[in-house]
Amino acid sequence: MGIVTGAGFSGVAGVLLRRAGQAVGVAVLVASLCFLVVRQLPGDAAFRIAAGRYGYDLVDQQAADAVRAELGLDRPAWRQLADWLLALGQGDLGTSLVTSASVAQEVGYYLLGTLQLGAVALVLAVALGGALGTLAARRPNGLLDRAVDGWVASVRALPPFLLGLLLILVFSVHLGWLPAVGHGDGVSVVLPASTLAIGLSGLFARVTRDTVVEIQRSEHVRFARTKGLGARLVLVRHVLRNAGVVLVPYVGVQAVTLIEGVVVVESLFGWQGLGHALVHAVFWRDVPVLQAAALVLALLVVGINTIVDLVGLWLDPRPRGRAVVS
Amino acid sequence: MSAALLPEVVRTHGVRRREPGRVLAALVLGALALFAVLGPLLLADPTSQDLGRYLEAPSPSEPLGTDEYGRSVLARLAHATRLSLVLGVLCVVTALVLGTASGILAASRGGWVDAVLRAVSEAFVAIPALLVVLLFSALAADGSLLTLYLGLALVQWVEYFRVVRAKAALILGGPAVEAASLLQLGRVHVLRRHLWPALRPLLLTLASLGMVTSILAMSTLGFVKVGLQPPRAELGLMVTEAFPFYDVAPWLALAPVTVLFLLTAGFLGLRHREVSP
Amino acid sequence: MTTLELHDVVVAHGDRRLVDVPHLALEPGRPVTIVGESGSGKSLLAHALMGTLASSLVVDGKLALDETLLHLGDRSNRRALWGRRIAMLPQEPALALDPTMRVLSQVAEGALGASRTTARSHAGAALADVGLAASARSFPHTLSGGMAQRVAYAAATIGGARALIVDEPSKGLDSGSVDRLAGLLRDHVGDGGLLLTITHDLRLAAALGGEVAVMREATVVESGDAVDVLGSPQHDYTRRLVDADPSRWRQPWQRTGWYSPGEAIVRAIGISKAYGATSVFADVDLHIRPGERVALSGPSGVGKTTLGNALIGLTPVDAGRVVREPSLAGGRVQKLYQDPTLSFPALVPIEVGLRDVSRRHRASASRVDELMAAVRLSPSLLARRPGEVSGGELQRIAIVRALLAEPRLVFADEATSRLDLLTQAGTIDCLMTELGEAALLMVTHDRALATAVADTHVELE
Repeated sequence: MGIVTGAGFSGVAGVLLRRAGQAVGVAVLVASLCFLVVRQLPGDAAFRIAAGRYGYDLVDQQAADAVRAELGLDRPAWRQLADWLLALGQGDLGTSLVTSASVAQEVGYYLLGTLQLGAVALVLAVALGGALGTLAARRPNGLLDRAVDGWVASVRALPPFLLGLLLILVFSVHLGWLPAVGHGDGVSVVLPASTLAIGLSGLFARVTRDTVVEIQRSEHVRFARTKGLGARLVLVRHVLRNAGVVLVPYVGVQAVTLIEGVVVVESLFGWQGLGHALVHAVFWRDVPVLQAAALVLALLVVGINTIVDLVGLWLDPRPRGRAVVS
Repeated sequence: MSAALLPEVVRTHGVRRREPGRVLAALVLGALALFAVLGPLLLADPTSQDLGRYLEAPSPSEPLGTDEYGRSVLARLAHATRLSLVLGVLCVVTALVLGTASGILAASRGGWVDAVLRAVSEAFVAIPALLVVLLFSALAADGSLLTLYLGLALVQWVEYFRVVRAKAALILGGPAVEAASLLQLGRVHVLRRHLWPALRPLLLTLASLGMVTSILAMSTLGFVKVGLQPPRAELGLMVTEAFPFYDVAPWLALAPVTVLFLLTAGFLGLRHREVSP
Repeated sequence: MTTLELHDVVVAHGDRRLVDVPHLALEPGRPVTIVGESGSGKSLLAHALMGTLASSLVVDGKLALDETLLHLGDRSNRRALWGRRIAMLPQEPALALDPTMRVLSQVAEGALGASRTTARSHAGAALADVGLAASARSFPHTLSGGMAQRVAYAAATIGGARALIVDEPSKGLDSGSVDRLAGLLRDHVGDGGLLLTITHDLRLAAALGGEVAVMREATVVESGDAVDVLGSPQHDYTRRLVDADPSRWRQPWQRTGWYSPGEAIVRAIGISKAYGATSVFADVDLHIRPGERVALSGPSGVGKTTLGNALIGLTPVDAGRVVREPSLAGGRVQKLYQDPTLSFPALVPIEVGLRDVSRRHRASASRVDELMAAVRLSPSLLARRPGEVSGGELQRIAIVRALLAEPRLVFADEATSRLDLLTQAGTIDCLMTELGEAALLMVTHDRALATAVADTHVELE
């Protein structure tokens, strides 16, 4: 039986190298999948794209053929893939098949919207989950702990679109406090960000609670107490920092869930972001936009994980023995 | 730890408690499975429209009322539940078998097999499942379930591979397996006595979570009307179609929402409490 | 001068008494050491004094610290004293230090009530006193066990507490570190401090001197001056305890001047091993002859286990070669591990694994029962899982398992380091009696054990 050891680079260089490799892998994967989509375009999809561009009345077989030629469907497959990947490598994202605008420009605009929403949601989720988890951990198996547990369980069972619908029903339709649709201003970000944040905070609360409970029982916290330090001081200085070491990687894990949620929530609330653009692009088979949106979203995940890794390195001075499974 | 302050005699040894939550979850899921199997056989045709019975409230003949095309909501619900469960099971089983086999292979062989598989999984892990499924559904002709199945199975394979490989590597590198190799006990013994007992609870948890992922991904796709289109009966699709009629016919949305919630809560409740994630 | 007295200490779980000690007194300048096996209640007594017992245990009794009389049942009344009047040195120092905080800060925070700069300069001085001024900016994971113990000592005593309680300080430490620790503790007492030490290590008790109390099953069976109790024990149990030290063993399997004419079964020629830039051992020559008993001893971290693993072929070497006789192949080399629980498949009953071994090595059906009887264990233990059996018993089952393969060489890697003295004596006795003609390679940090067991004793440093 063989024994597997992870090849180790350590420190900042290691993190950056690993994540760069991951980014490249992600880009190749997404691009290849999009290429497959292009290959699979049936006749009527090309027709539909042309129709989307010119309007159904004006479209005809000639226009559909023009679209097909534009995508270069008549060349051998492997050459197309090579060209496709090469174009991407050079940063050429192409033009939208529907609007004929530069994809880079459009995606840039949408990216801003997604970043706004994502940042607010993540901060809310970490704050909410962290606070609830810490409070629940002060008295394990007490009333608050069990209440938080139940709340976490029900939140996990709700898909983001249901949660969003529920919030819209309550806060927009019935109470009229918050707008359901809208973009850009402070108020209209509340509902979509909250939808995302509530979903994310569930796992975070559970993990925070477990971590804080375990750290409170650890030897070094006990020693700090017997040295004569007060409970409050021990919590802040010892418990929270060690908890941070364990919990920061979970923010990285949540990045994937965040992006998934972003796609749904943007569609539901009509928020102008990458998720919204992605869904539309799938529907219209607008492959350049589809590829760019999917790519940027996936690279966002890699980016968040990179930051998480670096923060983790700064917090925990111990050498990494094994590669962390994230 | 505080356990050190209790003498050896007082510590309870491996007491396994019956967890009532898991029993309840199993019962709920069993009932839904029964509904999904028997419903399509016994109930009315979900596609038959009867515009004269537009948005009828629940009645003895139609326990969940009718939708805006006069179709039986109950019948549609049964078909939708069956779709979610069958597709979910197919995806999970495929992914589980592939992921576990490749995970054990990577952990025991090491070398380039391990390196390649890990590199591939690293790339996949950063791409959210929903994204992959969306991309795959762009591949498909509208409404094709095959590509949906492929996309979901592919995404989940990666998860099982990573978890199984990590656990297997830990066990295979540990003193118990070293002792077994000194005792010349062979691969079958290591598999039966060391790997499988440790992996089994993990796999159950992963399978439960996998069902939740599949069902939620499908319903999300239905909700945004990508890959799954009307007139197919699918839970998310039913929710999105019901939403405009919320004020006049709330049961239309309530029925699929309830089933969705019961399915996901049920599968989440099946897991062992101690096993993470 | 500070004095500390305990009266009528009773710790109970349900209706079972775990500690029942009517009187214990600490005087300045005279260390008090409580010795005994695990389960005797000695650790519980120390924690009852400190107020750190688990809440599921019921405590009764009184503590008289100078003029103050405190009831032991109320755990909160001692919190104000922590660090200021009473300090405790924890069991495993490596775990007791916060891994994310530098050494100086951890020591400095024990200086209660002082300003930040004063605290830090005091901490610097304290670290210099224990010889660790260079480690002030280090993180705990870079420290060895002995160094971590000294840091913990500095951190615990900087608050100025006169009464010091030390709980099992020699766990995981090699004899050099234990000696240094004994010196530190004697200095503390020499300054007029009070010292209560809990340990199963009789050598530490002898080094500390003062008064020794022997605890067994919740009560003190003998107490008195260290020289008397350890030198000429009165009570039967104390006598057994004292005789359990390897240097006092008189076993039939012990031998001197042994010689074997045979060819070496393991020959290491000029072997070296390094992990990254750190060299573990270099250019080592070693032979093991048939039936020979070889001991590798030295402080922890010196590479004994690595060397042992290299000799039996579990770890490759970077330079040189290891020649093993062909008869050693096919399971004729077996290993005993420091933590036996980790060496068994954790989730299956022990007998299932043993049956696999019997089948593989074609042992007769009654062989397992024979061996279990030889190690004085009931066969019913085999129906349990490894985690449900105590460490000493499981190690003896591991011996049974190893012997089923009829080995020619047994590698005992710190196999008894985690056991207390009496259990260790019993386990080694079982092993050596059943070993028969097989050779033994023993790795240990206990030089007395190595000398008592081995024909050839190799000391590494």
